[in-house]
Amino acid sequence: MTASGLVIRAVRDGGAWASLLAVTSLVRAGAETLLPAVLGLAVDGVLRDGGTSTWPLAYAALVAAATAGDVLTELAIGTSAAAATARMRHRFVRRLLALGPSAGTRRSPGGEGPCGVARRASPTVRAAGGSGDESTRGAHTSPGLAAGDVTSRAVTATADTGLAPSAVVLAITAVLPPVGGMIALLLLDPWLALTFALGLPVIFAVLTAFVRDTSAIVGRYLAVQGVIAARLVEALAGNRTVAAAGTADREITRILAPLPELAEHGHATWRVQAATAGRGTLALPLLQIAVLAVAGWEVAAGRLTAGGLLAATQYAGLGADIGPVITQLGRLARARAGAARLAPVLDREPPAYGTASPPEGPGRLEFRGVSAAPVLDGLDLTVPGGRAVAVVGRSGSGKSLLAALAGRLAEPDAGEVLLDGVPLRDLSRTALRRAIGYAFARPVLFGATIAEAITGGTAPAPPADRSGAAAEAVPAACAMRAACAAQADGFIRRLPAGYGTPPDAAPLSGGELQRLGLARAFAHPGTVLVLDDATSSLDTVTEMRIGDILTRDPRTRLIIAHRVTTAARADLVAWLDGGRIRACAPHRELWADPEYRAVFR
Amino acid sequence: MSRRRRRLSGGRVLAGAVRRRPREATLLAVWSAVEAAPVLVFGRSVAGATDAFLTHRTGTGLAWLAALAVAAAAGAVGSAAAYRPLAGIVEPLRDALVRQVVRGAVHEAVRTGRPGDAAVARLTQHVEIVRDTFAGLLVVIRGFVFTLASALIGLSALLPVTLLLVVPPVALGLGLFLGMVSRAMARQRDLILAEERIAGSSTALATGLRDIVACGAEDARSAKIGRLIDAQAAAARSVARIAAGRTIALAVGGRLPLLAIVAAAPWLLRHGATPGAVLGALTYVLQGLTPALHTAIRGLGGSGLRLAVTLGRLIETGEVPAVPRPAGGGGDLRLSRVTFAYGPDAEPVIDDLSLTVPDGDHLAIVGPSGIGKSTLALLVAGLLTPSRGTVFLGGTPASQVAPEFRALIPQEAYVFGGTLRDNLGYLRADTAPPGDAELDAAADAVGLTALAERLGGYDARIDPATLSAGERQLVALTRTYLSPARLVLLDEATCHLDAAAEERAEAAFAARPGSLIVIAHRMTSARRARRVLMLDGTRAWLGGHEDLLTRCEPYRDLHGHWAADGSEPAQVAGDANGDRSQPARVAGRANGDRSEPARVAGDADGVDPVARAYLPDDARHVVPDGADRQEEVIRDLGG
Repeated sequence: MTASGLVIRAVRDGGAWASLLAVTSLVRAGAETLLPAVLGLAVDGVLRDGGTSTWPLAYAALVAAATAGDVLTELAIGTSAAAATARMRHRFVRRLLALGPSAGTRRSPGGEGPCGVARRASPTVRAAGGSGDESTRGAHTSPGLAAGDVTSRAVTATADTGLAPSAVVLAITAVLPPVGGMIALLLLDPWLALTFALGLPVIFAVLTAFVRDTSAIVGRYLAVQGVIAARLVEALAGNRTVAAAGTADREITRILAPLPELAEHGHATWRVQAATAGRGTLALPLLQIAVLAVAGWEVAAGRLTAGGLLAATQYAGLGADIGPVITQLGRLARARAGAARLAPVLDREPPAYGTASPPEGPGRLEFRGVSAAPVLDGLDLTVPGGRAVAVVGRSGSGKSLLAALAGRLAEPDAGEVLLDGVPLRDLSRTALRRAIGYAFARPVLFGATIAEAITGGTAPAPPADRSGAAAEAVPAACAMRAACAAQADGFIRRLPAGYGTPPDAAPLSGGELQRLGLARAFAHPGTVLVLDDATSSLDTVTEMRIGDILTRDPRTRLIIAHRVTTAARADLVAWLDGGRIRACAPHRELWADPEYRAVFR
Repeated sequence: MSRRRRRLSGGRVLAGAVRRRPREATLLAVWSAVEAAPVLVFGRSVAGATDAFLTHRTGTGLAWLAALAVAAAAGAVGSAAAYRPLAGIVEPLRDALVRQVVRGAVHEAVRTGRPGDAAVARLTQHVEIVRDTFAGLLVVIRGFVFTLASALIGLSALLPVTLLLVVPPVALGLGLFLGMVSRAMARQRDLILAEERIAGSSTALATGLRDIVACGAEDARSAKIGRLIDAQAAAARSVARIAAGRTIALAVGGRLPLLAIVAAAPWLLRHGATPGAVLGALTYVLQGLTPALHTAIRGLGGSGLRLAVTLGRLIETGEVPAVPRPAGGGGDLRLSRVTFAYGPDAEPVIDDLSLTVPDGDHLAIVGPSGIGKSTLALLVAGLLTPSRGTVFLGGTPASQVAPEFRALIPQEAYVFGGTLRDNLGYLRADTAPPGDAELDAAADAVGLTALAERLGGYDARIDPATLSAGERQLVALTRTYLSPARLVLLDEATCHLDAAAEERAEAAFAARPGSLIVIAHRMTSARRARRVLMLDGTRAWLGGHEDLLTRCEPYRDLHGHWAADGSEPAQVAGDANGDRSQPARVAGRANGDRSEPARVAGDADGVDPVARAYLPDDARHVVPDGADRQEEVIRDLGG
């Protein structure tokens, strides 16, 4: 969907409030257009009849209507924006979750779009992915940056897009008073209208100059701001080194180095505004004065009343008051820019899921002629149900990609992956995730507490009162059992609030994090377990204990391995080489091959 | 922690921003007065012109309008000119806020060891809100003040009695508006907090996307963020209701004066006012008062409140606690009776540990992961403060040791976007940066040469995201090798290197003058060290490698596992785990082996073809005479 299409959708998201806004802003615009005329009539009435004229009462009634229109319009502007923003945010978050990591692994046309925004989007999703060793590496190095980009879309771009309902409605109704003013001038006296019409081109020139200039300058300003933000994120991620080196102040200097450039672009934005303001403030009163002069001439000629002159002054002002139009066009531009940032994500087609449940089977996993960029090429592999298969291969041979394919965290370009004979793509999402569990080299924990993080966040939501949930340090039995198996129980108990510690408040080493990731996998109820280098940061004792537990695990296990011991423990070793399985046999059979041994060097 | 020792008020910051720029402030006032010139003469001109036109004195009428045109031209000049001093006030404030946010975020992350989620939002969003709204506010306030003053002066000159009709409703409208301020502030604050929660959650969502999908937790996460989104929408609706309320205040202040003048017009005309004067008075309200009130209440109401709240939060979160300047350091490292727990209710990670590391020592710290080795490193580096006991480097408490005396490399190596030279000279900024020859020598010693060449030399810019974890560790290691620190702490700083690369890097550090403490990732690190500290739960053993093998059973076990697979030298180099035996046999023999650990331990080079039994789940059982033994250990360590 194009940015404009998304803007239209946002307008629909405004719902009933957008419709109400259309009505109230029309009332307001109508009242505003009539007020000068009725005021003029009231003044004429008073000048003619003194206190007996009824026009002042009509004027009072119109003022009341205009005020009611104002109040409701104001309410509808805020409320429609709130509704549209919330809907857009829901949509964005849902789409992001639906895309998951697979979006980045496939080169969709949308992902490589022409605008910089789209290009920046792809590492975002790919970062969380794991398509081959290269991108997995990327995921480890710059999650913060990508996350910052997603955050700014989820927060700022959605809010900007949420302006669309009111911006579209008001951009239309804001045109009415100027147009009404012109018509009123025409009705009052054609010469007035002609005088006014000659001034209009000036106003349009001002209007278009404003829209064009700012977007370019603001773009440059935002680019520098992005550089500063990126440096900040980088330094924050390296906080421990910075702390130890005592270099916080130098980091601050480095982060702030582009600040003068930012200020330069900042000043440029004011210069544009100054030019616009100058042009605007000069054009407007001169136009009014010209209309006044013509009106005065007509008054002197007896063709216009004093009230008519007062009305003419105001109609000239109303007709020339392009401020609201500019404002609304500016808001519309923001909504469009926001939509343009959301579109690359919302456009991407999420992987489709089937409806099948996996047949009651042992969890046999089959790769049939699977190809996936950049390394896998027609790979065949069968992981027998209930057995452990270790995948070994040189760095960059696509082990992590294979692991991702095993549970549809990546999509194959060709070929198929089947679970107990059913293609993965035919399984429903719930069935797929319930069947296949994962543990990663660098798991990311989510959930309010460690206990929740282990149960994978799939446990029932905690009570709304979070402090209550944290205080309740009794972990679910399931989480504790899994933690014991993953050798994590001991250090979890040493955390500030034990199992109730929020993961982001826990000082965790890489090995501890891995064990929590393993605990999460152990707590998983599925028939297949995929371990993507999930024990790489563990000390050998811990790895040995976990290896033992894994050996006894009745599930089908696909284990991406770097260590010989891991390969030796598995029932079979799948040796990945040149994009295919070079051999699949027990470790001791393969060990005779010096090239196989070389894999572990 | 008293983070808010001195709470600055947002108003004071803004007032300061104006006061610090007296020239700009004066210019802004002057040009604003010029800008308001048309308002001052508008009503008078209309009055004069109307009366002239009504009495057919067309020339006089046009003269009045010409005067107005001159004023309008002056106003336009003033309006444009006012932006320059405005930028001169606003841009420096933005710079100051960016500095404050960055400083606050970096110091906070350094202090807590966690990268804050909200820092980017503060930098890219909140600072911009303050910049835009503060500028808007200045424009509005000075516009309101000068326009109101001009209109009232004009009215009092034209038809003084109308002030009685105009001032009370204006005052009433302003009063209504001010009465709503505190509630509006509270709603606005709720809105900003709700937005920050969404920002924090989105960041967590983005970083955890793969894991969330792998766990099938999309719906649960979506629901969780969904609740935050709905809460924000509710807060936004509250703010919209407040905005609607403000419109009423605007109607009172801006529209009642017109009704009053129209209602009083018959009386005014009876008491000598000309029709032109009545029109002029209405014009003053229409062209001066109403627009001024409109922009003031809109501006102060929407953006002004947002400014106050946003700025308040920026100041609140951006404050940097005073950090005592590091005093000095150097010499022997002495830990006495150090206990550390991460929370008052948590089990201690380090319990009553005493340890001396003389200058020049090479100590390896080993133990199962999660046992507190990294915590110990942080305590030694002074980045954590013990709950009880003391850590001294020479005569200086660890927390006050200057960074040039000790260096810590954590597992996650920090490489920043910049040249390789910048990265390598990172710890030498205060002294002479290393020259090419020194860089070459260090790179060669640590094993960075090949990577440096691949990256295109020391002056090539590097993007940390394109380096592997191991490559980043090499950069961090070489950087630390070049540092002046005499005490180097490697906290699994070589865990992403292969065994050969690790050996090379460690050898480089061992040959370097000063002390080396290695938190061992592989047993080979312990074998290379002069002494080994074995941590197991809250107990500790200290001794040479051989010594520990004979008298520390957990160490034997650990060593057995780490070294067991060393039957093939090639595997030792590869990953120290070249197990050729069948898995079944390992498991089968596990129990039997425990009775004869001496055989394994006796062979210092650890070449034993049979895998050792793993530690039982409760390691305490391994040491039968636990209590006595512990006493002895403490004495050893304390000496």
